[in-house]
Amino acid sequence: MYNYLRDTTLAAALLAWAAGGFLARGYASPFPPPSEMRVPAAGAAGDMLALASGSRRLFADLWFIRLLQYYGSREFHGEEEAGNGEHRHGEHENYGAGDYPLFFPMARHVLEVDPAFTAAGLYGAACLAFNMQRGEEARALISFALGYNPKEWKYLTMLAAIGYSRSGNAAAVAETIAPILKDPDCPVMLKQLAAFLNKKAGNYAAAAAIYADIAATSRDEAYVKNAVKELKKLAGTRLPPRGGSRR
Amino acid sequence: MNSLFLVRAVAFNSFSESVRNRFFTLFAVFAFTAVYASVLAGVMAVDQESRVLADFGLALIELTALAYALFGASSALLKEAETKTIYLVFSRPVPRWAYLAGKLGGALLTAGLMLLIMAAMHLSLLAFRGFGPPPFYAWALAGTFLKLAVIVSFAFFVSLFSTSAVSTLVISSIMWTLGHFASEARFLAERLPGLKGTAVSVFLWLIPNLQLFNARDAAGAAAAPGPAVLLPAAAWVAASFLGSLWLLSRKEF
Repeated sequence: MYNYLRDTTLAAALLAWAAGGFLARGYASPFPPPSEMRVPAAGAAGDMLALASGSRRLFADLWFIRLLQYYGSREFHGEEEAGNGEHRHGEHENYGAGDYPLFFPMARHVLEVDPAFTAAGLYGAACLAFNMQRGEEARALISFALGYNPKEWKYLTMLAAIGYSRSGNAAAVAETIAPILKDPDCPVMLKQLAAFLNKKAGNYAAAAAIYADIAATSRDEAYVKNAVKELKKLAGTRLPPRGGSRR
Repeated sequence: MNSLFLVRAVAFNSFSESVRNRFFTLFAVFAFTAVYASVLAGVMAVDQESRVLADFGLALIELTALAYALFGASSALLKEAETKTIYLVFSRPVPRWAYLAGKLGGALLTAGLMLLIMAAMHLSLLAFRGFGPPPFYAWALAGTFLKLAVIVSFAFFVSLFSTSAVSTLVISSIMWTLGHFASEARFLAERLPGLKGTAVSVFLWLIPNLQLFNARDAAGAAAAPGPAVLLPAAAWVAASFLGSLWLLSRKEF
């Protein structure tokens, strides 16, 4: 009798384990499969750790920080620098311009690790399209992100803005990305760009509103300083009616 | 009713032993220090500080709780056998299943308390930096607890046939890693031709897919885990418990 009970326990254990596997069979991973991951050689170990510990989000964050550091490194062609060595964020025309050949693979890799990292996708696409004039790569980045987040309207909006930027229509670009700026997760760089484009298009009131938002909400001191400076400049400008001229 | 009282008594005894252990304090201090260190990473991410702080903290909470829970689970039964305490317990009318259920319950209570304490520290840190809790926070903690439940019960099972606490720790950690790789491994198995692919797929069915409970990773993804994930978790915990009971019933005390 005792042996029978023991054997039954073992059978029940095996059955329960198999039931667990059966119940979990329907799980579809929301993440890109390994074949989609183009790991930079230096990051392979990190990616292994990300998958092994179930920490994709954390490692996507680290890749994003690497991307920020890479893009913040000195590869400037024509960017003016302030006397104290800080980069000037005021003149967006040349800001962030450069070759940065690894920018696209690094930005894509952030999304390969965590395709739901919308802010990284928007930041990467905006830098590629508007700062480095690499619209094709920006579109490729957004297309990859949309594959895993097809309902993300911010990506679709960004795609439209990239389209306008090809025709050099600054006002249309600013108008298109305006809804993204209201999102609390919107990269400050994109706000800065929108403010600059509005200013360029003569929409000073809209530019001032965006600069005021940057000054009030951004945690990046450089952006805040620049926003305050631009606000002071705009205060001295005679504001035309809201809506301004469209180039 | 009497058996349930016994389970409760063993569980609370096991829980209070764990809480009194100085390692508990050590891990709590470590977790707090580590979470505080994540502030540096947050500052580097500028715009994404709240996201980085949340992710870093949740990952550290999980790894710290895992380390402590695995350490406790792998040594609990071995220690009782070495100190002969287990003989004292079984000399009384305590059924083996009640003893095992109590031990597992105590380990899970400890893990739950650890998670709550570290989560409170983490949320305080977020609040200190001016951020609220991310919307998926409670789910992430619940998912972590489910993962811990599966792996701790598995560690109990392994500890009953392994020769040392270290080997239990190693085997359980491998299972933890495989559990997170399950989706990727399944994808690769599907691409293996013929019998090889089938064999690997069958083997993968034996690995608990811990990605099911990984709410902290699926936070923004299209398929965040739902309450249905409780069922496979319960099945795996029950299987490990029954397996442990089977092994325990074969031992002479």
